[in-house]
Amino acid sequence: MRRSRFPIVVTALVLGFLYLPILILVANSFNPARFSSRWEGFSLVWYARLFESPEIWQAVRTTLIIAVSATAVSVVLGTTAAYALHRFGASRLQRVHYTLIYQPLVVPEILMGISLLMAFVAAGVRLGLLTIFLAHVTFCVSYVAMTVLGRLQDFDFSVIEAARDLGATPWQSTRRVLLPMLMPGIVAGALLAFTLSVDDFVITFFVAGPGSTTLPLRIYSMIKYGAPPMINALSTLLLTVTLTAVLLSQRLARRSQ
Amino acid sequence: MERRARLPLIVLAVLALAPLVLTTLSCGRTRPVLSLYTWSDYIKPSLVRRFEGEQGCRVVIDTFESNEAMYAKLKAGATGYDLLTPSSYMVSLMHAQGLLRRLDRTLLPNLAHVDPDYLAIAIDKAMDHSVPYMITNTGIAYLEGRVPNVVPSWRMFGRTDLRGRMTMFNDMRETIGAALKFLGHSINSTSPAELAEAEKVLLEWKKNLAKFDNEQYKIGLASGEFLLVHAWSGDVFQVRKENPAVRFFVPEEGTVISCDDLVIPADAREIRLAHAFIDFLLDPAVAAENTAFVYYLCPNKDSYPLLPAEIRDNPGIFLSPELRGKSEMIADIGAANALYIAAWDRLKASR
Repeated sequence: MRRSRFPIVVTALVLGFLYLPILILVANSFNPARFSSRWEGFSLVWYARLFESPEIWQAVRTTLIIAVSATAVSVVLGTTAAYALHRFGASRLQRVHYTLIYQPLVVPEILMGISLLMAFVAAGVRLGLLTIFLAHVTFCVSYVAMTVLGRLQDFDFSVIEAARDLGATPWQSTRRVLLPMLMPGIVAGALLAFTLSVDDFVITFFVAGPGSTTLPLRIYSMIKYGAPPMINALSTLLLTVTLTAVLLSQRLARRSQ
Repeated sequence: MERRARLPLIVLAVLALAPLVLTTLSCGRTRPVLSLYTWSDYIKPSLVRRFEGEQGCRVVIDTFESNEAMYAKLKAGATGYDLLTPSSYMVSLMHAQGLLRRLDRTLLPNLAHVDPDYLAIAIDKAMDHSVPYMITNTGIAYLEGRVPNVVPSWRMFGRTDLRGRMTMFNDMRETIGAALKFLGHSINSTSPAELAEAEKVLLEWKKNLAKFDNEQYKIGLASGEFLLVHAWSGDVFQVRKENPAVRFFVPEEGTVISCDDLVIPADAREIRLAHAFIDFLLDPAVAAENTAFVYYLCPNKDSYPLLPAEIRDNPGIFLSPELRGKSEMIADIGAANALYIAAWDRLKASR
């Protein structure tokens, strides 16, 4: 009996759909042509240009500072918010809280960007790293809260009660029982928040001030006059770093088991 | 056990406070900071370093990708920028809204170098609130050897043998302006009869076009997908570095000249430094160096002799006096804008 080829074909198509654009990007980062997509020979010219462009590295730095700190804060706020929503979800106050937490997921980004900008201007806050950070926390909290809430939905609270019965303090039961069991949700939320923060253009555009251009802002503005292929080179480098990190962590995890 | 529990908390707190700390640190610097908000790669970096050295200041450059986005942001109340480079039509709008500061001419001795021929067609002729930074000419670019019988005229877009291999700008004023110029009218015409005439011409031309486009035409021209495109001179000279067959001309009927201006927003803080930077850019040697770097032209008459011959002898950058006399800048036409929008909508909707 012959096995159907169908699953293999579908797998190949899906993989191609997902990874072909990335492969083309990597290939193009070695193509010296700026405007044409024709292959003009292997070259490292865009990598050289990239390392001569301090403003791109400045933008990478700004993006990472904001992404890391916004993730850290929104993980704490989002997790506690999710806990409160789950434990006291029936009360009217928490229903309002739920609506508020849910809002940033459905409000159009441009609306959020302009209203945040107007709020910062009205409050007299100087636009810059701080305002981008606050704006990113605002939407990242929602994503973390929703992810952790999903994890809490099938969490068995009798485990906590058992821990308390066995003499754990509230802090110990949280730290040694609740948090480890929620960890997959928290990590997923953190990764989501980090990605969204690195990626955000619309909101960041409005709340950014002098000297706080993030990578997406920089890339957008390069489309008109700049040299976008440099971004192919940068993406290839970031891709390599991420892949290496993932492979390393997998190997370490296997070894520790 | 307890100490181990505390470590992640400390790490979290440090990470969370990073932007706060960095913001305060950067405020504490003693060197004055000039914040420039401009297009990407629109100034030679070594010139910025030189200015920083001369003035003992720091120049922070942030970039925008469209006039409209920059305007929306400032209009919503964003502050902190000391110097902007919007296009002329945006400058008139911002000036009308009171968003710009009047320039202090006593701080700008180098204003004397600005090309008077250019000022004659500029919108802010007196340089009251804006100083021209870079100009570019609209024209037609094509691939030599692939387009037979080129005539330097807008009527190239009527050539049926190039059907499907040409593009025009996806820009209401530029494209209708091209048709108006072809007919011998002003690009700022407000006459309904002239506009109707231009619309008829464009309906004919549209049948020959692959699309209306402002960005992708560069890639299409470099790769040979398009043979003849409506183009900005600055872009074309960048594409030509890659495909030497690219040629550019400004149609004999006259064209659109666009300009980005240096302006100081009304709420700028470093007003003296902003003036100093404008004056620095107007220095002929600096202007020449900048022009050679970005391939747009600083309209600075005393910088022209200092330019490399490749740029100085380029008729697509330096228009002949006759051609410049026929060319115009896009001006705000007020209520007549509605006529343009209606004509443009009909044109885009037609098949």
